[in-house]
Amino acid sequence: MNLDARRYVILAFILMVGVLYTSRLFYMQVVDDQWVLRAQEIAEKRWEITPPRGVLFDRMGKKIVSNRTYYNLMMIEAEIHDLDTAKFAKLIGWTREEVRNRFKEIVRGEGTYYNKNTGKRTANYQKIRAYPFMKELTLEEVARIAPHLDNFKGFHEEVTSMRSYPYANGANIVGYLSEVSQEEIDEDHFYKPGDNIGKAGLERFYEKELRGRKGIRYIVTSAMNNAIESYADGKYDTSALQGPPLKLGVDIQLQAYGEKLLKGKRGCIVAIEPSTGEILALVSSPSYDPNLMIGKRNISMYYPKLLLDPNTPLLPRPLASEYPPGSTFKLLNSLIALQEGVITPEFGAPCNKSVVGCHNHASAGNLADAIKHSCNPYYYAVMRRIVQQNRKKSVFADAEVGLSRWVDYMKSFGLGHTLETDITGLRPGRIPDVAFYDKWYGHHRWAFSTIRSISIGQGEVTITPLQMANVAAIIANKGWYYTPHFVKAIGANGPLPEYRKKHYSKIDTQYYDIVIEGMRRVVYEPGGTGRRALLKDIVICGKTGTVQNPHGEDHSTFIAFAPMDKPKIAIAVFIENAKGGGGLWAAPTASLMIEKYLKRKITEKEREKTIIDAVFSYMR
Amino acid sequence: MRKGDSLVAHMDWALFATYIVMLIIGMATVYSVAYNEDHPNIYEYSEKYGKQLVWLGISLFLGLMVFLIDSDIYRKFSVPIYLFTLFLLVIVLFTPKINGARAWLGIGSMGVQPAEFAKIGTALLLARFISTVNVKQQNIQTVLIANAIILMPMVLILLQPDAGTFVVFTSFLFVMYREGITYDPLILRVINRIPGIRFKSTWVGGHFIPILFVVIMLSVVTLLMSNEVLEFSFLPNVKVPGFYSVVATLLLISLLFLIFLRVVSARRERGRATLVVILGFSMAAGLSSVVNYGFQGLRSHQKDRIELFLGMKEDPNGKDYNRNRAMAAVGSGGFLGKGYREASVSSVRSNHVPESETDFIFCPFAEEWGFAGTFILVALYMFMLVRIIIIAERQRAVFNRVYAYTVAMILFYHFAINIGMNIGFAPVIGIPLPFFSYGGSSMMSFSVMMFILLKLDSQRRDVLQ
Repeated sequence: MNLDARRYVILAFILMVGVLYTSRLFYMQVVDDQWVLRAQEIAEKRWEITPPRGVLFDRMGKKIVSNRTYYNLMMIEAEIHDLDTAKFAKLIGWTREEVRNRFKEIVRGEGTYYNKNTGKRTANYQKIRAYPFMKELTLEEVARIAPHLDNFKGFHEEVTSMRSYPYANGANIVGYLSEVSQEEIDEDHFYKPGDNIGKAGLERFYEKELRGRKGIRYIVTSAMNNAIESYADGKYDTSALQGPPLKLGVDIQLQAYGEKLLKGKRGCIVAIEPSTGEILALVSSPSYDPNLMIGKRNISMYYPKLLLDPNTPLLPRPLASEYPPGSTFKLLNSLIALQEGVITPEFGAPCNKSVVGCHNHASAGNLADAIKHSCNPYYYAVMRRIVQQNRKKSVFADAEVGLSRWVDYMKSFGLGHTLETDITGLRPGRIPDVAFYDKWYGHHRWAFSTIRSISIGQGEVTITPLQMANVAAIIANKGWYYTPHFVKAIGANGPLPEYRKKHYSKIDTQYYDIVIEGMRRVVYEPGGTGRRALLKDIVICGKTGTVQNPHGEDHSTFIAFAPMDKPKIAIAVFIENAKGGGGLWAAPTASLMIEKYLKRKITEKEREKTIIDAVFSYMR
Repeated sequence: MRKGDSLVAHMDWALFATYIVMLIIGMATVYSVAYNEDHPNIYEYSEKYGKQLVWLGISLFLGLMVFLIDSDIYRKFSVPIYLFTLFLLVIVLFTPKINGARAWLGIGSMGVQPAEFAKIGTALLLARFISTVNVKQQNIQTVLIANAIILMPMVLILLQPDAGTFVVFTSFLFVMYREGITYDPLILRVINRIPGIRFKSTWVGGHFIPILFVVIMLSVVTLLMSNEVLEFSFLPNVKVPGFYSVVATLLLISLLFLIFLRVVSARRERGRATLVVILGFSMAAGLSSVVNYGFQGLRSHQKDRIELFLGMKEDPNGKDYNRNRAMAAVGSGGFLGKGYREASVSSVRSNHVPESETDFIFCPFAEEWGFAGTFILVALYMFMLVRIIIIAERQRAVFNRVYAYTVAMILFYHFAINIGMNIGFAPVIGIPLPFFSYGGSSMMSFSVMMFILLKLDSQRRDVLQ
């Protein structure tokens, strides 16, 4: 037996292991990159720091949406020892069952993670990590709990920021925040489960501005999930940046006053500054206190109630309710007829009640008086002249041409399509066109007599209160408008570019003077339908409307602007199912709003009291 | 003076230098892994690197002592030394448990592990015994005594219990193999009972130990790989069962052997050598496939038990946790590593890899220095082991040669198991990486072991044989 040769066996054995290990190390460290990913999973964490949301100011610089500190009660399971569930449940005011279920819910809520490398499915939940056990506690609530937390190892409080609305007004303007849905997370990787997102109103429209920029810190963490140090000395870190403050055109005091006026009534008020298109107030009644919609707990408590309320407080009426405009529409038909040259300002027509009902007044001998009296037969005559211009032999073909021309004018007033206002929930309203009637009655099977109700703003026409207010603004401006908008400044910048672009109506300026004179007479001349809007030292130009509708009493509506020269406010008031016409409810409401805005005080105390005290039967 | 001159002149400087280089790298790694910003000074005794530096100093001092003592003393006093280490192994069993084992003697942090020193005692006595044996005339007694020398400390260590050191003691079997201690007397006594059979020696008896080890090692590696799926970043969608890589590696090794043998062996022996290699490969591949498919065919609870034992599976004791974390740390090092003190997974502060300053110190090293570093480390060990075997083979005294082989095999075991468990090739057995891992006992025992070797070697010419 050659024992000396055995040294080679041993040498070969050692060298073989050396070669084997070297090749394995080469494979692991150089060839295969799964270990790098695994190491990153283990040690490198991405920490997101959510900045407080941008805040909102009104036109006077009052903070109307701010952030408030709230607290989450956090839990780290690994640090919990011998938890006295009964005592703990008592402390936080839950039942033991609820405490136990909450633990399960947290674990389930984290979901599972599928590792492609190992083919294993593991729970994301980690015992060593902190999870919110109770969310969104107020300072008062946490002050009651926190002193006793020493007895419950593994629980601690953590600061979080949530919305606060110092003025409980304008809920339908600002909207609310709520937790992101899975679809929203999939769509935009900015969000993580549990993040908040604007769900309605300005919070939603300006979400990208308000949310700011998340700060990202890459850190190396320990097995206990403690941060040890910045990854690569913070080279890749970004700091959190709060969203810019938004300055609104809204006057929160005017808004609050409007909400006060409409208490007990369903309806809307929209006030616009004609020279800028800034919305001064947008009242939707009934409304709700936006502070009810802060945080998951509140939302789950109040949202269902608000949703089921028959008077629909969550509906932003001024944006989404499409009402027939009623007699306010006559202003537009007047302008179109003048522009088309089918009438002159001196055009007169008898108040022939056999065609359509009207109230008792002297026949209008000119356009301004027709507006003052809001004479229905007069506007039938006007509308007939617009629609049937005798350009075609067939009455049907003729109506088609006339209506098309009419529709073009209406569109130039921002009607029949959604305004590009900076809020969500807008509806377009409807200006019936040729295609619409063809669909209803058939091609060439309708003429003026079929569609005549549009001449007085009834029938197929619908427009939203926001559009109505915009019409008032167009008349105040004598032919142009900026798209109504809420936000006049984003941080140091002005409004969005689309609100710096003037839109023109297809009506020449001189025709507005005639209509405006009519609107003055509505308020200031005996026999005018809007006498109750009269103010002593402000000249209001307005137009009433009494809208017949299938839901009950007539709607009361009024559009106006003031003062007559250099208008500062254009307004539309719409009160649903008010007993009495536009002159009775909407006109005085509008005048109070105008006085409030322009004078900051109310002289017509009696008028104010009547409106505020009125509570309609459907609200009881 | 002449004697002192010759001592230094005859010392194996290559081995000594390798040892020193390893100590430096090891110290640097301990400093890096245990680094504490509050006490950045390496001399800070409250930190692990400060303590390790003290151990290092003590070790070098002990080494110097060893070097100054006449080498003959180790042979002469091998029996008392052995008995003394056995005695320590007995009294350690009466100490309170620390981390589940009665392995520590001493007060507080300055404890020592007798098991580490038992290696030296056993090595010396085994060397002494084998040097007295006439290999040509072995009987049952020689086999039994040789095995008893090893088994006694092994049993005591198992009582602690310390599975890692227990396994390391089987390294002595390789030394016995090299020295020709055969299991034939035992095997023949059984086999020759069969009528008509009258063997003088058997191949199995002579090569019992390497055969056993190849079988065990191949089985363990096959089992560890059999649940893995290999993927290559440059070849997407190609998935290779882990078992194939075992066969591929065997094939590679066989080819290397073939080439090696064609160069080394005489012309007439080539045919036979080729046949042996082919036969060896087929048997190894056959064994590997039997283990692999046998394992895959096992019922799930049987499979579970094996997986649990080898640390392939998540278990309450967290063997799988250590292994996965360690492999992630090593694998994420890349080619050039993350840089000194940049280990994000395996630093002591991050604590993702438990024991990263002791048994898993290869992790931070591999993470910091990447393949460039681990290649050099493996190469250093290879160089050291080959160097020790060269030294062993140039000894005139059998005692010296056996002792040198025990040093080589113990170091090799520690190297192979320690690094193996960091790369998924070995089950998680807690043994230190020589000259790297934090800890006084291993540092001292390996240093003393090394210096005894250097001393014996430097005086090899004085021995008349």
